[in-house]
Amino acid sequence: MTEDIPAPAEAGTEAVYVYAVCRAEEPPDLTGPAGLSCESPLRPLAVGPALTAVVQTVRAADFTDEAWQARLADEPELERYARAHHEVVCAVAARLPTVPLPLATLYHDEQRARAALSRESRRFHAALERTANHSEWGVKVYVTDAPAGQAAGAAPQPPAAGAGAGRAYLDRKRSLRDRRERQRSDALRIADAVDADVSALATASRRLPPHGGRAPEERRTQVLNATYLVAGERAAELARLARNLRERTGAQVELSGPWVPYSFVGEV
Amino acid sequence: MTDLDFRQEAYAPSGPQTTNLADILERVLDKGIVIAGDIKIDLLDIELLTIRLRLFVASVDTAKKAGIDWWETDPALSSHAARNALQDENRELRARLEALESRSSDAPEQQEQESETNPSSRR
Repeated sequence: MTEDIPAPAEAGTEAVYVYAVCRAEEPPDLTGPAGLSCESPLRPLAVGPALTAVVQTVRAADFTDEAWQARLADEPELERYARAHHEVVCAVAARLPTVPLPLATLYHDEQRARAALSRESRRFHAALERTANHSEWGVKVYVTDAPAGQAAGAAPQPPAAGAGAGRAYLDRKRSLRDRRERQRSDALRIADAVDADVSALATASRRLPPHGGRAPEERRTQVLNATYLVAGERAAELARLARNLRERTGAQVELSGPWVPYSFVGEV
Repeated sequence: MTDLDFRQEAYAPSGPQTTNLADILERVLDKGIVIAGDIKIDLLDIELLTIRLRLFVASVDTAKKAGIDWWETDPALSSHAARNALQDENRELRARLEALESRSSDAPEQQEQESETNPSSRR
């Protein structure tokens, strides 16, 4: 059988991948990141008044549903794609006001990409306006897990003489439950306090689902994973606030950023 | 003044160098401005849930135990899921289950009556 000859090149074997749209009167300098394909470079694509998309020709076969199904199950591969996308977005955003697109926005060809993106130019301009001179900052709060077992404050009372093992068991259970309850309300209070203070300084905020600790030995629980749109001139204030919150709450308050404002360019 | 180094000269400076994969994924997968593409990849539907589960399952579990489950009702976070028919079905089933449970705990007698007058198998 000679069926397995590679299919001849035809329309549809290539696709145009869009990373971001930036405000640029002139084609931007795109030297630096390689993007997702080593076969063709990043290039600018004018998509409207003062708007330029950053695109790349990629193999369509790499971006089918099946390819993605496989990729999502293959963490190193997923990481490679996510980081490559992110790297391009960051490189562009470091030079120009930029609206990032999510991973995997693709068109059959350049004309279709231009047409689709031009139709959205109003949205791009609105997002650029909303995020102008702002960056995104992530704030995560962790509380240290109390050691399991009976180490914490409320050591169970020794059972009264004559009380049975069942009673002791119930007491132990109850004190464990109370302690968990206390930890839980403390953690929630800290998370809300941090969120309220940072929100007061930020232009906008979003809460994201807390991450799981990959390492069980980490012994801390993430109780807040939030992200904030913060004006450039308030970044120093944010750093001071984070330090202050760390001292005040005793929790670990981690600040990450500045990020390209991924979380604030959508309309949600 | 501050112990953080800022890159104020840049517009939206490149992300922090130490960013972990989960931080990047939660931004590049379902943030950014969503524009309809020619090639439809439903990253935001079932597959995304798969990744989310893998990345976050430990925390979701821990967080739920701690009573932190606001994201399940946050429209910003569940908007993708909301498009997912399976999710919708689950929600509907959950609501029905809740209704059933509250009915059975609030008014056990009534529930018994109903189950008598409403046999579960309909023909």
